[in-house]
Amino acid sequence: MTFEEARDYLLQKAKALGIDAEVLATHTRELTIQAHGGKVEEITQATQGGIGVRVVVEGKTGYAYTEERTPEALDWVVQEALENALLQSETGGFLPAGGALGQHDLLGEGLSAPLEHKRQAALDLEAGLRADARVKQVQMTRYSERETQATLGSTQGVAGAFRNGYALLLTSAIMAEGGSLKQGYEFDLSKEFHALEPGRTAQAFLQKTGRLLGARPLKTGRYKAYFEPKAFGQLLGMMGWFLLSAKNVLEGKSLLAGKLGQKVASEMFTLVDDPTLPDGLASRPFDAEGTAAKRTVFIENGLLRTFAHNSETARKMGAPNTGHASRSYKGVLGVAPTNLFVQPGQGVKQDDGIIISDLMGLHAGANPISGEFSLQALGLKVEGGELAYPVENFTVAGNFLELLSNITALGTELEWNPLMGIVGSPMVEVAELSFAGA
Amino acid sequence: MLAEALVSEVLQKARAGGAELAELYVERWRRRALRVLSGEVKEATSGIEYGAGLRLFYGTEVVYAYTNDLSPESLLELTETLVKLKGSAGQVDASGRGGLDFRKAAAQGLHAPAIPFTARDKRYRLERILEAEAGAQVGPQIKQVQSNLMEWEQEVLVANSEGVWAEDRRVRTRLYVTAIAQDESGMQTGVVGPGLSVGLELFDRYPPAEIGRKAGMQALTNLRAKPAPAGSMPVVIGNGFGGVIFHEALGHLLETTSVAKKASVLSDKLGEKVASEVVTYIDDGTTPHGWGSQEFDDEGRPSERTVLIENGVLKSYMVDRLGSLLTGYRPTGSGRRQDYTFAPTSRMRNTFIAPGSTPREKLFEGIEYGLYAADMGGGQVRPGSGEYNFAVKEGYIIRHGRIEEPVRGAMLVGKGPESIQRIVAVSDDLEMGPGMCGSLSGSLPVEVGQPHLLISEIVVGGQA
Repeated sequence: MTFEEARDYLLQKAKALGIDAEVLATHTRELTIQAHGGKVEEITQATQGGIGVRVVVEGKTGYAYTEERTPEALDWVVQEALENALLQSETGGFLPAGGALGQHDLLGEGLSAPLEHKRQAALDLEAGLRADARVKQVQMTRYSERETQATLGSTQGVAGAFRNGYALLLTSAIMAEGGSLKQGYEFDLSKEFHALEPGRTAQAFLQKTGRLLGARPLKTGRYKAYFEPKAFGQLLGMMGWFLLSAKNVLEGKSLLAGKLGQKVASEMFTLVDDPTLPDGLASRPFDAEGTAAKRTVFIENGLLRTFAHNSETARKMGAPNTGHASRSYKGVLGVAPTNLFVQPGQGVKQDDGIIISDLMGLHAGANPISGEFSLQALGLKVEGGELAYPVENFTVAGNFLELLSNITALGTELEWNPLMGIVGSPMVEVAELSFAGA
Repeated sequence: MLAEALVSEVLQKARAGGAELAELYVERWRRRALRVLSGEVKEATSGIEYGAGLRLFYGTEVVYAYTNDLSPESLLELTETLVKLKGSAGQVDASGRGGLDFRKAAAQGLHAPAIPFTARDKRYRLERILEAEAGAQVGPQIKQVQSNLMEWEQEVLVANSEGVWAEDRRVRTRLYVTAIAQDESGMQTGVVGPGLSVGLELFDRYPPAEIGRKAGMQALTNLRAKPAPAGSMPVVIGNGFGGVIFHEALGHLLETTSVAKKASVLSDKLGEKVASEVVTYIDDGTTPHGWGSQEFDDEGRPSERTVLIENGVLKSYMVDRLGSLLTGYRPTGSGRRQDYTFAPTSRMRNTFIAPGSTPREKLFEGIEYGLYAADMGGGQVRPGSGEYNFAVKEGYIIRHGRIEEPVRGAMLVGKGPESIQRIVAVSDDLEMGPGMCGSLSGSLPVEVGQPHLLISEIVVGGQA
């Protein structure tokens, strides 16, 4: 059965049973070329797809999915989704009405370069790293591309599809100098293969990791913090989004609950999500329920303007739907950001404090429910306006909301980070944070 | 799951295209997940995952492809694409023609569930979860309880052009309870999540009410806890999931994935003393019903018990097929992958520090000021430098040899090879705890474990 046939089979079956159903099918093609020791070490070619259904019966919502497209598997899926729905105590579930959303191609020919060029890109990136004698070991270098076709359909009339994708260069390596070892990584990501430049990515790695060699222990204390865009993007992607999700607000997990219209951050802090950015890696024409994409300002000059909603959370909170519904075929309805970014500011002047270049252990050391974080970091000490020396073996700790309120300056340039969603940030200066080291 | 003739044809085609070894991995999962928040079912999902991964070896170069279209046309086309990707057309290997004679091995059911995936209805599951929620209500400060029940049933077939044909069936069940406590000082969590290679009899081994109670008590402890101190100090790490520190700081450094590339600080150290002599470290894939146990690894090799470090001396690495080709070390049945979307790499199974002889109380004696990390959260390591970090889920100050007030938000950071030299005493109360380990070949169920043990000095990151 093709995806379209399977979608139609499921919608027909739902109609026959008298239940509302929404079918989301995604089909992904992926290519990864890994270079090691001047040779292509591993190539992975993949096609993967699946179908997820959301059913609503008696106002109760249930889910199930399958990657196997046989009538038996599809029948099991409908049966399980129905049972899962009936298990709910909560009623009031519904599927939004909709119409034809069209077929959109957001990727075009961006990935259509010959395979040989892609192999060469991975090899060139590795060679660029090895050219520096301080690079002791290149652990991983890869070129990777991904193309996704998403199709949405429902018994309420929603019907649409879009295609998107990206090309990625990624490397991780160890540098050594005078007994000091540092492991780092670097990446570049674009919707156009031709926009990637292995030489530029290699130089960025060497500069960013090389400057951390010879790191000294950091004395425990409170310092001014300068988060580099990549580091702040990770923290924001992990903590910030959690707090803004209306789903978490409704479940009582967000510290921002009840604070709409209030000051929750420094007044220089404005946080925006924009799925319509032409080059945005997370851009899309409509969300997972078929709501049309639009720009949302979550925090404006420190004031909380809205939470991120899908149709369900918007109805429960009596708020406008911001069009942030998300769902993978395996998952349930949630809310997710697209291209989330901090509006750049007037610039940061580094005088005395710690530049935080990278954060580690976010899944364990950052608790978005309490807002508290204590994270292993890498960075550099700044003294009297000058870079003094790199520092290591320390953690930076605090509360995320206090951090937002204590932002004292923002850099002028936005950098995008794909590690925790697609998050953009400038350099962020925070008045004071607690650092633990030697 | 797939006809022998088709498997044979795919493998032969790959061999004929020049691959020295071809391996086909086929699997079908059925999964169920149930999330209940404060008595209400929030999410109930079910799913089928189904796909195949084809891996071809050309010496130590590997190409991998996967798909979830398992029709003969699709699999044969995939094989052809893969051979072309490698660009070795023309080097036709005549030995690839002719029939494959598979040596068939089926699982003996060593970890088979007493209550199968299809038994009991959803209502039964919900009722057990509600018992856990009720158990978590240990005080008025408990504002919310969230419980997740995960059930997996995985059928696996691994066949390769050397005649390996192994079929395994793996059933795993886990209950994960998070209690959230709140008062005027803020919000804190307690988490308890037992899981085993069993069916719903998990509820007999770990009564849900008791699991809930433990999560609730931990949340209350964290609520009255003060922010953890910062600085360098002696630390006693609790048994069970406390073993995550050595999973991160030691285990990952012993996988051939990093050892073969000399990307581990413990590369080329077999026979050398790498840890304090009180440390014996074992990775055991055969523990009956262990969360990380399986009869065959994902390369079709029988699982085994591997002594990694004995009395401080490095005895073995964890070795998969590719790792063995690269290093010459004997494979240890450690080839694992999350699912067909990943090629396997060397991974841990159930890994623990063996019991020592120091009574638990003795560990605390003589500590003027230190930290007792009674329960641990997750962590991370960079194998190249050995730098690790992990979060303390439940911690207490040790003062004058006594366990005193609780502290929260502590993070232990350091370098693995230093920390294992600093283990000065190991107790005799070994326990295991389940976790999910993320690495190159995806997220996998593993157990970590240890008895209580004392590390003479470690950096504690807290809010100074």
